[in-house]
Amino acid sequence: MRVLALELTAFRNYAALRFEPPEGACIFVGANAQGKSNLLEALALLSTGKSFRTSREADLVATGAPAASVSARVRTRHGEVVAQCVISRAGEGARKRFFRQGRAVRYGDFLGGVNAVTFMPYDLQLVGGPAALRRRLINTALSQSSKRYYHDLAVYAKILAQKNALLRAPTVDRALLDTYDDQLAPVGARLVAERASYVRRLGAEASDVHARWVGASPALTIRYDPAPPIADEAPAAIETGLRAAFVRMRPAELARRGSLVGPHRDDVSLSLDGEALSRFGSQGQQRTAVLALKAAEYALLQRATGEAPLLLLDDVLSELDDDRRRAFLESIGSFDQAFITATDPPVMPPGASASLIAVISGALHLSHEVAS
Amino acid sequence: MYIAGPLADLIRELEKLPTIGPKTAARLAYYLLSAKREDADALAAAIGSLKDRIRLCSRCFSLTEEDPCSICRDLQRDGSMLCVVGEAKDVYAIERTMSFRGRYHVLGGLISPMEGIGVDKLKVKELIERIKPESISEIIVATNPNAEGESTALYLARLLTPLGVNVTRLAYGLPIGGDLDYADEVTLARALEGRRTM
Repeated sequence: MRVLALELTAFRNYAALRFEPPEGACIFVGANAQGKSNLLEALALLSTGKSFRTSREADLVATGAPAASVSARVRTRHGEVVAQCVISRAGEGARKRFFRQGRAVRYGDFLGGVNAVTFMPYDLQLVGGPAALRRRLINTALSQSSKRYYHDLAVYAKILAQKNALLRAPTVDRALLDTYDDQLAPVGARLVAERASYVRRLGAEASDVHARWVGASPALTIRYDPAPPIADEAPAAIETGLRAAFVRMRPAELARRGSLVGPHRDDVSLSLDGEALSRFGSQGQQRTAVLALKAAEYALLQRATGEAPLLLLDDVLSELDDDRRRAFLESIGSFDQAFITATDPPVMPPGASASLIAVISGALHLSHEVAS
Repeated sequence: MYIAGPLADLIRELEKLPTIGPKTAARLAYYLLSAKREDADALAAAIGSLKDRIRLCSRCFSLTEEDPCSICRDLQRDGSMLCVVGEAKDVYAIERTMSFRGRYHVLGGLISPMEGIGVDKLKVKELIERIKPESISEIIVATNPNAEGESTALYLARLLTPLGVNVTRLAYGLPIGGDLDYADEVTLARALEGRRTM
């Protein structure tokens, strides 16, 4: 898909911006705090409905303004989509409203209109950071391609919150606890089945990409580690396993006053030739693995939706070593549209081209096309 | 800005109502000022008698003027069927269908430990106490189709089935008169699961 026009009103440091991206990849360059990342944040907001940088959504609204608006006209294989998100200040926080073709839609119906894969320095922690980061990658990817998954995820979180509140209550109604476990098991099993299938495909793709870059050894393996472990990807079998785990963990859950097992504790492990990357991998190996993972995420989303998603690269070129950076820039033409931020203009390898756009305090200046 | 005292009082009170903002409140207040005396009096009297005359039915806990309520007293009603709802306004929703001839039981909310609403805060004990004396054979749980409504329904089924009553739940399905391609995926998936042989 291609963004034909992006409009920002009172969004971060942009009072009013209308930007029609030129063909090909766009590289936004400029010093810090000029608004480069804000552009990528705006595009990501139209894809996931959330900021990738903050959970304090009031920060998205320009100082002194009551509301911010982000909208884009995007050419997709289903025709042109006009997606808009309006963030209004409400008390201490903010309220978001979503629009598609000018009509108000619910968040769940907004998802999937504009698809994007985001890559930012924080993603480098995907290997060594907390499991929540790896779950978020899977959840974001699956929510973009399946509304059922997004709904199941929301329902699961709601019931889990109720179960945890019950476990913290002075007296725990056992029949109600049974009820929550009964409700969690089928929804949780559907989540686990989707995740197992997704991680299997993601892992295969990432291993291939990795092998193309570094050769057959060391081989990258990505494995899904659900809690409890599963032997079979069939939802019915997973549900049985989940129910058994709930029963087994019941005494511990009552003692610890919190839920201890289920898809909210899932993880994904990455290893090189069988050794855990988080413990034994060098910094360079970890980065290459994350890059392979992101490339795989992109390929899978493209396959699931039948068209290339937007690629949003926030300040990661400088994090890559020379070889990786050159390999990435050489492949830039293979994406429908990539938006990249960098402090300095990158050296383009022969044959690759991109538009260089200078960002200076919330204004864009198309400087020149860099091709060599 | 000066607004005559009584008018300002009325605007302030109307603003407290749900869905009424300052502009609508002012428009309603000026309208009432220009309306016929008897219309304004009738509205005031209706509001006044609400608190005086409406109370909870001691049997089903729906809103009523007389206790027990007219539905509980109606001998034409099928006493073996009981429809359990979360709020009193849900009785009104089911009654509008004109398709249910049994009686009701209002729980007074849905189970939600997050909001401190345990089973003891709802009229569940009272529900169980009705089953034997009223010879109830079927309980239709008509709680909202959200996570709390579902939990409450499952909990009641777990509790009531061993007592020998048939516990049923409202079906999930497609809205009548709608187009299939407009239905959201989740509703459609639930409707598929709940399909019936023709």
